[in-house]
Amino acid sequence: MRNGTSLLLLAALALAGAACLTALGAGSATAAALEPTDSGAPSAIVMFPVSAKPNPKGAAMKPAVFNHLIHEKKIGNCETCHHTGDPVACSTCHTTEGKAEGNFVTLDRAMHATNIAKRAKGNTPVSCVSCHEQQTKERRECAGCHAIVTPKRDQAWCATCHNVTSSMTPEQLQQGIKGKLSPDQNEALAAETVQSQKAVQPLTAMQGPLKVTIDALADKYEPNNFTHRRHVASLMERIKGDKLAEAFHNKPETLCSTCHHRSPLSATPPKCGSCHTKEIDPKNPNRPNLKAAYHLQCMGCHQGMNVGRPKNTDCTTCHKARP
Amino acid sequence: MNRRKFLAIMGSAGVISALGTAKVANAGVHTFPYYADSYGVLHDTTRCIGCRRCEEACNAVNHLPKPKKPFTDLSVTSTKRRTSAYEWTVVNKYNVNGKDVFRKLQCFHCNDPACASACFAKCFQKQPDGSVTYDGTQCVGCRYCMVACPFYVPGFQYDEAFDPLVQKCTFCEPRLKEGKLPGCVEACPMDALTFGRRSDLIKIARSRINETPGKYVNYVYGEHDAGGTAWMVLSPAVEAPAVAKDAKAHADAHGDTSELKQLGLDKHLGTQPMGELTYGALGTVPMIVAFWPVLFGGAYAMTKRREAIFKAEKDAHVKETKDDLAAAVDAAVRKIEETQGPGAADTARRAMTDALKAREAACCKEHGEDK
Repeated sequence: MRNGTSLLLLAALALAGAACLTALGAGSATAAALEPTDSGAPSAIVMFPVSAKPNPKGAAMKPAVFNHLIHEKKIGNCETCHHTGDPVACSTCHTTEGKAEGNFVTLDRAMHATNIAKRAKGNTPVSCVSCHEQQTKERRECAGCHAIVTPKRDQAWCATCHNVTSSMTPEQLQQGIKGKLSPDQNEALAAETVQSQKAVQPLTAMQGPLKVTIDALADKYEPNNFTHRRHVASLMERIKGDKLAEAFHNKPETLCSTCHHRSPLSATPPKCGSCHTKEIDPKNPNRPNLKAAYHLQCMGCHQGMNVGRPKNTDCTTCHKARP
Repeated sequence: MNRRKFLAIMGSAGVISALGTAKVANAGVHTFPYYADSYGVLHDTTRCIGCRRCEEACNAVNHLPKPKKPFTDLSVTSTKRRTSAYEWTVVNKYNVNGKDVFRKLQCFHCNDPACASACFAKCFQKQPDGSVTYDGTQCVGCRYCMVACPFYVPGFQYDEAFDPLVQKCTFCEPRLKEGKLPGCVEACPMDALTFGRRSDLIKIARSRINETPGKYVNYVYGEHDAGGTAWMVLSPAVEAPAVAKDAKAHADAHGDTSELKQLGLDKHLGTQPMGELTYGALGTVPMIVAFWPVLFGGAYAMTKRREAIFKAEKDAHVKETKDDLAAAVDAAVRKIEETQGPGAADTARRAMTDALKAREAACCKEHGEDK
C-alpha cells in the first residue's frame, strides 16, 4: 500500500510538473516571439470584419493580421494611420457597413482605397494599400520595378495580409465579428500567425547567368552585353531586410518577374523574343515589338530609379555603333 | 422710286434670302463620311524619349531635303518647332509640371478635316484608310488650309518661285498601300507610336490608362477633339510640385494648367469638327450667286416699268390739257375776231400764247426736280 501511495503521489507530482512546464512553455513562447511595442499597443492584431449585423457563416475573407510592431517602428507618427489623432481600433468607426462616426467609410475602403482625396485641412487618411503603393512609387529601390509592373491583384496578393492562423476557431471568428473577442485572445491569435510566417528565400543572383548577350536585333549596333548578375545583385542588395518587400515578394522568383513578366514564375523563364516579335504583331498591337520591349523595360526601370546614366538617347553606351 | 418703295423691296428680299440661307445651312451639316475601319496612330508621350528617329525616317521615306542641323542634334527639341513644307514631323520637348515630356507633332489626320472644308479647289481628301491626302494639281496657293488647320500643320513652299505647293504629313499613304507601316512608326525604338485601326487604338489607350493607374491623364487626346482625329495622344500624369500648388490654384481661375495644356494640346477646340463652323456659311454661297441677281434684277425691272407707265400717262394728260387750252384759246380768239376785228384778235392770241408759255416755264421750273 505504501508503495502504491508513493507511486500515486509521484505520478500526481509528475503530472502537475508537466502541466506547469507546458503552461510555462506556452507563455514564454508568446512573450519571447513578439517584442512589445513602445506605444503599449498590441504587437500584432487580428483585424476582424466587424459588423453590426450577425454573420453566422463567418466572413468570406480570412481576417487580416496587422503587425503593429513593424509598422510602428517604420512610420513613427501614429497619426499617419490613426488619422483622427485618437489611437483607437480602425473598426471603432469603420465597420463592414460603415458608421456615421466614420463618415460611412466602410472597413473595406478604409483598408484598400487608393483614390483618397487630399483633405483641404487636417490629416489626409491613408489606407494600407495606398500607403504601400506610395512606398513603391517613392522609394528609389522600389520605384524601378514598380514603375514598369503593376502587381496582379490576385488571391495570392490578398493572402499576404488575409492570413490569420488556421487554428482560429469559428467561435473566435464570431466573437471577433461582433467585436467582442478579448484582447488577449486576439493578440495570441495574431502572435501565432506572425510567428508561423517565414520570409521566403529568394533566388540569388548567382543562380542566374553572369551576362546575357542580346543580339537578336543587332543591326546598326553591336550586340549588348547585359550584366544580368550585376543587375539582380544590385536590386537585391537595395531591398535586403526590407520588411515590406519580404512580405510581398512572397515567391522565390518574384523579383525576376519584373523583367520576365507575364510568363509563369520560373527560374528558367522564356526569352523576350518568345512573345515580342521583331515586327509588331497585328493581332496584338498593344504588345511592343522586340526592340521597344527591351528599351521600355531597361529605360522604364532606370527612369523609375532615377538612374542618371546612361541617358535614354545615348544609344552607344549600351550598344556600340557598328562601323 | 421713292424711299418707301425701296425699303419695302429690300425688306422682302432680305426675308426671302434669310429663309433660303437657313434652309441650306440645315441641309449642309456634314459632308465627310466617318470611316469606321480607318487607321490611326496612338502616340504615347510617356514612352517618347525625344531621339528624333521618327523625323529622320520621315525625311528618308519622303525624300525630303536634308536639314541644316543633323538628326543626331537633339538640342533642337528645346525650341517649339512647327511642321513645315520640308519637315512633316517634329519632336518638341515640353515641361510638364517640371518634368521633360516629348511630343511628336505632325498632321493629326482629322476625321473631318478643317483644311478640306476651307479648300475651294478640293485639294484635300479624307481617305477611307484614315489619311488626309493633298493633291496639288488644282492648288491655287491661297493657303486657306493653313489658316483653317487648328493644329498649324500644313506648310507652304515659300521658296518655290513656280507652282509652290502646300505640304504636310501624308500618313505615308503610299507605304500603307504597299502594306508597310508609316516611316516614323517603323523607326520608333520605344513603340511610342502604335499603328492600328482607330477603334482598336482607343481601346488600347483606355486599357493602358486603366492598367497603370496614376501614369496617364485620363484623356485620349484626339478621340473627340476637333471632331476626332486619326492620330491620338496619351499624356503622362505629373503631379504639380507642392510649391506651385498655390500658383496653380491661382492660375486655375485664369487658364487651364493641366498636363495636356502644358504639353501643347488644346482642349478648347471642342468636339465639333472645325469644318462644321463654316459649312453653313459656305453652303449659302451658291444660293447667293444664283438667287440674288434674279431677285434684284427683277425688282429693278419692275420699278423701271412702273416709271415708264407713269411717264406715258403723264404725257397723255399734258397733251390733253394742252389741246384743251389750244381749243379754248382758238375759241376766244375767234370771238374777239368777230366782235373787235382781226388786229385785236392777233394781239389777244399773242398775249394769250405768251402768258401760257410763261406759265408753263414757271411750272416746269417748280416741278423740275421730279424729272
